[in-house]
Amino acid sequence: MNLRFIDWIWCIRGNLALAPGQSSDEAFERLRSLFQKQGTTHQTTGETLTFRKKDQAAQDAMSIFEGGILHIENQAGGAVLRYILTSRALLFCFLAPLLFLGFAQLNITLGKLDKQATEAAKKAGKDTDAKKKADAEKKEIKLNPIDKMLGAPEPEKPKKDGKDKKEEKKEDKKFSPTSGYVFAGIIAALWLIGRILEDWLIRRLFRKTLLGEG
Amino acid sequence: MGKVARDCGVDMDGIRVGNRVIGTQGRVTVGWENIPKVEGGPFKRLFFTYFQPAVLFAMILFWYYAPNSIVKATTAIYIGIGFKALLLALEWVNPRFDSWRLTWKELATDLFYVGLGYTILNTVDNYIGDGVMIEAIQHAFTLEKLTWFTGLPLLLQAFLIAFIFDFGQYWMHRGMHNWYPLWLPHSVHHYITQLNINKGAVGNPVELFLIGLGVGGFFDFLPRAFLLAGAIGMSIGIYQHINVRFNSPKWWRFLFNTTEHHSLHHSQDYEATRSNYAGSFIFIDRMFGTCIDGEAELLGLEHGRRMSISEQMTYPFTEGWKSLKERFGQQPAAVPAE
Repeated sequence: MNLRFIDWIWCIRGNLALAPGQSSDEAFERLRSLFQKQGTTHQTTGETLTFRKKDQAAQDAMSIFEGGILHIENQAGGAVLRYILTSRALLFCFLAPLLFLGFAQLNITLGKLDKQATEAAKKAGKDTDAKKKADAEKKEIKLNPIDKMLGAPEPEKPKKDGKDKKEEKKEDKKFSPTSGYVFAGIIAALWLIGRILEDWLIRRLFRKTLLGEG
Repeated sequence: MGKVARDCGVDMDGIRVGNRVIGTQGRVTVGWENIPKVEGGPFKRLFFTYFQPAVLFAMILFWYYAPNSIVKATTAIYIGIGFKALLLALEWVNPRFDSWRLTWKELATDLFYVGLGYTILNTVDNYIGDGVMIEAIQHAFTLEKLTWFTGLPLLLQAFLIAFIFDFGQYWMHRGMHNWYPLWLPHSVHHYITQLNINKGAVGNPVELFLIGLGVGGFFDFLPRAFLLAGAIGMSIGIYQHINVRFNSPKWWRFLFNTTEHHSLHHSQDYEATRSNYAGSFIFIDRMFGTCIDGEAELLGLEHGRRMSISEQMTYPFTEGWKSLKERFGQQPAAVPAE
């Protein structure tokens, strides 16, 4: 399978023209500082630098990458640095919304099962006594005199018909899929932001390092 | 405590705090007088001195006087989200340490865990959470809820809810640091290498479930008291994992847990991690002799090795399995020398 069509999800590619007259040795010498970090190994063979990262520090400027290849090509117009960097964080972030959609679906299924079980129990009259008892216990709650004096609002009076809508709403929310959908959306947006932001940041980092500004 | 404290290098002898010597394995700062203050103009200093108390009192006033129509959990959730967004902005404006700056990867990791808390952990709670357990216990022993609590003044009810929960958290947390089966799931949370506003959500899901258990369900409180308690807990506990430098007033840091206390708890020094267990009320630690006033910048187990999410998910089980094998596995029979 040719992953080239989909690997843009977790791979960042780019080209950067080297300064006029800058040799590949000079360029790699400048870039080397980026790979002398905790959890990073690298090796240079000719015009190619390969690196790997494991348990990289959070503040490592290249922390989102697990590996990559940097290659310098000498062209007629001057030398160009080509890079391809792979990021498990980006791949995970791309796939994580599916997990949250799964959680939402799970809640829908469990909610249906719970509703069926509650209705079956109601039919069997199992909870009638408990409900009666609970209804009987519902009495008006009075505010403490101190709170009355300070002007706190009185608590709501319990409904007399026994059908507490708040309780029903609470039951419905128990297996709500909404949070799953919301987080699927948030994480998907994060992937998009990360894919654009990290592409820009790494390009800026390489450019600054090559120019000796880093 | 902390009068002669100083920054302790890893090669130093550490500093004596009560019966313990802190800072022999990791760099920590002990004593409030050694902790840097907010720098800048008078407005900035005023803002970062009184921000925490002002928010706490504003929250109390809001939940105390708000009309019944808006006193509900969804209001609390929206306030919580808005407040976190504000604190993220403060992390940007006035970070405690530049080395804790939020990166895209850290934010994505944190939000993934926040998401787990709002989704699958909530679902699991519906079946085996504290509410279900307490109901089962009440049913088994025909226990009634302690209804006379609803007659207490609202603020007292709210304090009791927050205190009972935090007291439980203190012992659960202390248990996690002292009993290996509980330490295994909790240890994952100690691999975080920086503090940010959502870092409290990062950890193995088993631990996140355990730390959320409470006994408040045995009592009956007014809904407004619950929301007040939640607001008090949020307005105090939220600063545990935050990268903002505050000049918290003396009374605040005497009573409440701060990011300074909690950074020490997450430091690379073993003895320092065995302190400051409470979530909100640091006076519980003071009561039991586990409080240390100070802070640390270098955080995390194994000298700050940042653990990946996949390892965070499996670590307690793989480590537990290794320990079981070491303990109960068959040792090769000794071969007598010829």
